[in-house]
Amino acid sequence: MLVEEFGLTPEQVQPDSRLDELGVDSLATVEFMFMLEDKFKLKMTGEPVPIKTVGDIAREVDVMVAQQGVTLDIGNQP
Amino acid sequence: MRRVVVTGMGAVTPLGETAAEFIQGLNRGISGVRALDTPWIGQLASPLAAPVLTAVESQFPKLRRLVLDRVAQLSLLATREALAQSGLDFRGETGTECGIFWGTGMGGAHTLEQAYSESLLHPGARPRPTTIVMFMANSSTGQIGIEYKIRGPSFTYSSACSSSAVAIGEAFTAVRSGRVRHAVAGGGEALLTHGVMKAWESLQTLARPDTLHPETSCRPFAKDRSGFILGEGAAALVLEDLESALARKVPILAELVGYGNTTDAGHITQPDAGGQGRAMQAALDQAGLKPGDIQHINAHGTGTLVGDVTETQAIKQVFGKWAERIPISATKALHGHLMGATGAVEMVAVLGALQQKVVPPTAHRYHPDPECDLDYVSEGARALEQLDIVMSNSFGFGGNNAVLIAKRFHP
Repeated sequence: MLVEEFGLTPEQVQPDSRLDELGVDSLATVEFMFMLEDKFKLKMTGEPVPIKTVGDIAREVDVMVAQQGVTLDIGNQP
Repeated sequence: MRRVVVTGMGAVTPLGETAAEFIQGLNRGISGVRALDTPWIGQLASPLAAPVLTAVESQFPKLRRLVLDRVAQLSLLATREALAQSGLDFRGETGTECGIFWGTGMGGAHTLEQAYSESLLHPGARPRPTTIVMFMANSSTGQIGIEYKIRGPSFTYSSACSSSAVAIGEAFTAVRSGRVRHAVAGGGEALLTHGVMKAWESLQTLARPDTLHPETSCRPFAKDRSGFILGEGAAALVLEDLESALARKVPILAELVGYGNTTDAGHITQPDAGGQGRAMQAALDQAGLKPGDIQHINAHGTGTLVGDVTETQAIKQVFGKWAERIPISATKALHGHLMGATGAVEMVAVLGALQQKVVPPTAHRYHPDPECDLDYVSEGARALEQLDIVMSNSFGFGGNNAVLIAKRFHP
């Protein structure tokens, strides 16, 4: 989704990639979390979570998925 | 006081994506008015508008677009062209000696309307987190600073249809006084949305569509005029003090010499010839010019019944018998009414006229109105042997009148 929505390259989107270095500032990060919520029917915890890297986003999604018992439909299953 | 010159101009308009295309389109009498291609247009009494047809959004990376309403995109493109022509580049420099003076009537109208629509039609929906920073009136101003690293003072002006003329006038004042050395000045507008167009329709000021030739529906100073056509776009000028321009050895496009700004204090929409005339006189006085020195006027000329008669009266009051000898152009017939951007766009038109010694036409004036009895250049673009001093009028709802005078540059 980072590649599709923000025009980043797959090489840029690595777990340790810092979002600010990719040009993804705090506003863009919130925008992206909203996109994730809408796409996967998740609800953010409401707790302020420091999100600095791509991996931080993935971890936040994992927490939401575990808490909310949601199965991710990533759109590539047959 | 310092002399203030123009060293760059840019315009993204319904007539093209550059200032040169705009000026050429005007002189050829090409109309940017057409039926808007959008699903909701059938809900309006008239489908007509003057949209920017060239690619705008695709000129920005996806990440950048997250915080750019269409008005900011148009504003950035016009500024890019003006800065490129001026040769100024503040990236890597301090940029603190350059100011930003930007006008807009409605700011990020597309973003605001989208947020309202989603919130009101779908309770529980949330606007995008970037909504505020995209629709706020100073969004384009801030984005121009960010994009081009301009770090001096910045100002956002909103006085309806005179917004960007005021912006240019205030930039002129700031450079003239030495407050800033350079200025990016102009304005942007992007309000061709369902709600905004519907609101304008209610105000009864939009032109009745001509069914056979819709592109001719706006007819300033004509007997059968019925109003204006909403348009969108942006225009930017780079102003700088003469010493700076000479030191940089860059081409000087023109010199700004006069700016008048008055308030009617009469009615929120009805124009007042007295207020308009005082603005023209103030600009003449500041420039140290006599009425007989003005050789061309780009009129506000919206094509409304009252507005065109009032402006004709105001010009007569200020210029007396000389009024009959001034070629007056109302270019909104072709590019539409760009609201907060229109003053800047029309400054590009007069600077183009000055450069080429050709004044653009007042198009679609097939039936002259006896009450509008001056020389409106109805026959088409007119080449002049001498054209050295030009005036541009911009009058806004709220009763604000802004008038600018430019001269051919002579050291």
